[in-house]
Amino acid sequence: MDNSAIQTLEAAAQVLMAPPNLVTSEQRHQAESVFLEFRSTKNPYQLCREILEKSTTDCVLFEGAGLIKTALIREWNMLSADDISSLREYLLSYLLRREVPTYLKEKLLQTIAVIIKRGSINDGGRERRALLDELEKIILSSTISQQKLACSLILAIMQEYAITVKSADVGLIWEVHFKLKKSFEGQDLKRIFRFTVGVLEQIVRSGHQPEGEQAALTKQLLTIVENILCWNHVSPLLSKRLIGAFEAIYESDTAPALRLSLNWRDTIIQPELIALFFEIHMYVRNNPDLLNSSLTCLVQLASLSGVVVSASNLKQQYLENYVNSFVRILGFIQPSEREMLGISQIYRRLVQFFTAPMIASTPPAFLQYLTQYTCHCIRGSVIEEGINDDTVWRESLNKFLHTWSSIVHDADGFSNETLMNPCIEIFNTYLQCRLAPPDGTRGHESSDGCNNDIRDDMEEDERQLHSNVLLTIGAIARKAPAHCCHVLHTLLTDRSKRLESNLQLMHMGKMQNINGGEQLVTLFEDLHWILMITGHFIALDCTEGETVTIPTELVEYSVAQNANVDASLRYLVGETTSTDNVDDILKLVGEILRISSYECAALEAGLAAAYSPELSATLSWLLKIWSNAYLTLQPPNCSEVLEAAFGRGSRGVSWVVGLAARRAAATLRHLAAQPPAARHALALLATLAYPHHRENPLASCEEFLALIVWEANGSNLPGELRRELHRVFAIAATFAEGEERSRLLSSTIALQEKLMNIINTESDTEPVRNALADTLDCFIGIAEGVLEVGTVDEQFVLLMGALDKIPGIIFRYHNYPGVVLPALNLLAKSAKRMLHSVQPQNVTKFLEVCNATFEVYMRWNSGKISSIPQDAEEEAYEVNILTFCRHQTKCTRDFYNVLRASFIGC
Amino acid sequence: MGDIEDTHFETGDSGASATFPMQCSALRKNGFVMLKGRPCKIVEMSTSKTGKHGHAKVHLVGIDIFNGKKYEDICPSTHNMDVPHVKREDYQLTDISDDGYLTLMADNGDLREDLKIPDGDLGTQLRSDFDSGKELLCTVLKSCGEECVIAVKANTALDK
Repeated sequence: MDNSAIQTLEAAAQVLMAPPNLVTSEQRHQAESVFLEFRSTKNPYQLCREILEKSTTDCVLFEGAGLIKTALIREWNMLSADDISSLREYLLSYLLRREVPTYLKEKLLQTIAVIIKRGSINDGGRERRALLDELEKIILSSTISQQKLACSLILAIMQEYAITVKSADVGLIWEVHFKLKKSFEGQDLKRIFRFTVGVLEQIVRSGHQPEGEQAALTKQLLTIVENILCWNHVSPLLSKRLIGAFEAIYESDTAPALRLSLNWRDTIIQPELIALFFEIHMYVRNNPDLLNSSLTCLVQLASLSGVVVSASNLKQQYLENYVNSFVRILGFIQPSEREMLGISQIYRRLVQFFTAPMIASTPPAFLQYLTQYTCHCIRGSVIEEGINDDTVWRESLNKFLHTWSSIVHDADGFSNETLMNPCIEIFNTYLQCRLAPPDGTRGHESSDGCNNDIRDDMEEDERQLHSNVLLTIGAIARKAPAHCCHVLHTLLTDRSKRLESNLQLMHMGKMQNINGGEQLVTLFEDLHWILMITGHFIALDCTEGETVTIPTELVEYSVAQNANVDASLRYLVGETTSTDNVDDILKLVGEILRISSYECAALEAGLAAAYSPELSATLSWLLKIWSNAYLTLQPPNCSEVLEAAFGRGSRGVSWVVGLAARRAAATLRHLAAQPPAARHALALLATLAYPHHRENPLASCEEFLALIVWEANGSNLPGELRRELHRVFAIAATFAEGEERSRLLSSTIALQEKLMNIINTESDTEPVRNALADTLDCFIGIAEGVLEVGTVDEQFVLLMGALDKIPGIIFRYHNYPGVVLPALNLLAKSAKRMLHSVQPQNVTKFLEVCNATFEVYMRWNSGKISSIPQDAEEEAYEVNILTFCRHQTKCTRDFYNVLRASFIGC
Repeated sequence: MGDIEDTHFETGDSGASATFPMQCSALRKNGFVMLKGRPCKIVEMSTSKTGKHGHAKVHLVGIDIFNGKKYEDICPSTHNMDVPHVKREDYQLTDISDDGYLTLMADNGDLREDLKIPDGDLGTQLRSDFDSGKELLCTVLKSCGEECVIAVKANTALDK
């Protein structure tokens, strides 16, 4: 009977596995139904045993093993304890005596694990303990393949208990899963850990190399330990959802911290244990398969926290043990790439989980190795950038820099004196990697030198790309301000002189342009990096509108220098080149401004084609983040020099703003076709447009006002940039008052006149339509700019002058999506950004415009059938915009009505 | 005959050439540009450069406004590109001849009979709507001497 059933199944399996051309779909259906029926067999254990013993077909064996598990879950309550026990014993003995394929082994191990877990509801884990006894015996005394199998079974049992929220379908409610997990944790997890660690100790001490089968067994044992150290000990007080979130982390790459309960104290605190783990690492580190597991164990041990080390002396003692073993092995090894990643994680976790004073009390070697490895990773990551897509050095560097970030920002940790030399070393290394010879090593890493940097896409902004690393390098540099100021100033002075002379030579026609001048490219690249590093050193990069101040370390440094105010200011504005008694920070700023004026002069002298747009972008970026920090409120106890230079009412502010505006204007005039340069110049102007010390130096800046006139007279800027420029004008106008405000608003008035001229023109040509679309786009810029700083009714009224015209524009240009779309976008932007803070009567007016536009639009477009797919898409989009506008406006109007009604009601 | 027609429509428009120059950086997505001698609508614009400190080049992808073919070009952002004059005019459909030519009436009452019924779904729809007696308004796309009907709608605008 059983034999015939097996034969039927094997025949069906053959049909299922056959190529499609050899069987008909009917045969396949029949074969499928055989298996479907098989899967629902009741009490199939004897049959499955027969299959496991006799069948040689993979598919049938797999189905048989699967059926045992599903049937067990299904029929658990109907089976006697003896039956279950005998089935489990049979499965284990089957696995121990036969060499079975992995897929089958996994399935059967999981089945045993499910039996164990399910059984532990009633027997409180008795059966599990008995099995673990048995497995321990096997591991201690059997053949290596049986030892491996025992390890796999332990892993399968752990896996079954580990997850409660997304557990296998064993028909238990979550609360039961959770109770079982807690009882397993309390009774057996530590036992498994101690036993496994003991076996690993024997293996390490045995002197055999981890190769072949021995390595496979070590891997299994290490995986068990790794899983225990990454085990998610979740408090029963948490909600199911939170536990689910924790368990999701357990399954991801980043394991949670090692938080252990009190009963682990006797095991985990022992100094020998930590030493053993480092010993295990030394034993396996040359085997790439084992390396990761041992590193994970060490990383987890570096994050020990929770009640197990609640007493601070215990924690301190544990850290001492850990760090001693850690630095000892660091003395012996030359870390590989992978190992470096692990080491960086260990550092990161130690600094994260132990208090700053504890970290500061570690032996000096701890900080020395940290410095040494950070420098190593800086070099590695710079090489990596140029040659391949691998990011392992960069990942390690990021971890090390996170560590440094915590160290330099924590005042309770290392003293400034201790940190100074390591910080100088890291700063110097980074600088060297970024500079060309003779000052640095850039281009040495790869054969093609500077060309290495050639990138063909501009999707990612250079300044964004490196900002994370540079942010920390800047913070590290501020721990040694004297050294870094000196180095940066020397480099800036040298390069600015070179830039000046090169530009002069070019102006006189004695030098080739950028294409021929590799030397010039090297200079641009050097300056680009020096400026980026200087930027992150003197200020913090932050998003637009965010308020930051001068970094405290620099203020303190400036106070400590007590430099001569007059000499410093004269240097800043370029009246002298003598640096005697000049404040170091002002030296840097003065040099940056000097470079900026060279650039400005070069552009105005017609050298734009030879100048680097990238460098121009970096300079604008630097001036932007600098002005964000230095031209706003000064921190308390600011130095006399900084106060005199950039404080309220100082001549420095308007002078610097004037220079920056002149430079930005030159960039827009001459580098408008270079996207990064133009964008950053506009971003700088936008930052300057915000008030500084409640004053608005930009509003009265002649250079800036000249820009308004230039734009009004037809700047020829690309549409996108004009839109951004009008946004800047709008921001500046919002903050200005009186005469200044009127002068700034003249940009909007000029734009309105332009719009009227276009509308009134008889000619309907492509250039006219382009000009119309551009002008509408500029109004969008205004709508955006006004929002940024709170809407002003006056500006909205001006804008209404343009909005009024939209229905007429749509009527005339209904066939031209290039005009219709910006017109509708303007309407939408105004609705979205300004409407909520204007007077109610303006809302009503706006609603009228929306309704009129909608009517005109629908008149020309409803029922239209187009042969051009893009047109149809655009039309659908346009209808959406319009509908959105009307809804938004109606909501606002209703809101006002309700508001008015409630006032009347009061 | 075709040549005469082309000349007639070009001079009838603005008296200027079929294209005008525009700086590459000032082109905008969804605008028009001549690519490989064909009037195209720009569907994709991206910038690249040779070397980090080099100047930008604009990479343009356009769709031929008449036949839907895709064209690409790359050009330094400071250089000029030709932009076609593109017109879209509405005509009232008065008749369809047996050989598939449309009789179209412009706003000023002028009649023309030189455009064929468009291919594809649009043409089918146009014919069936016309046959069922609907007043139809046809949008004619014109650029670089080529013309074709690209859209059609029931003529509600005339009522107002």
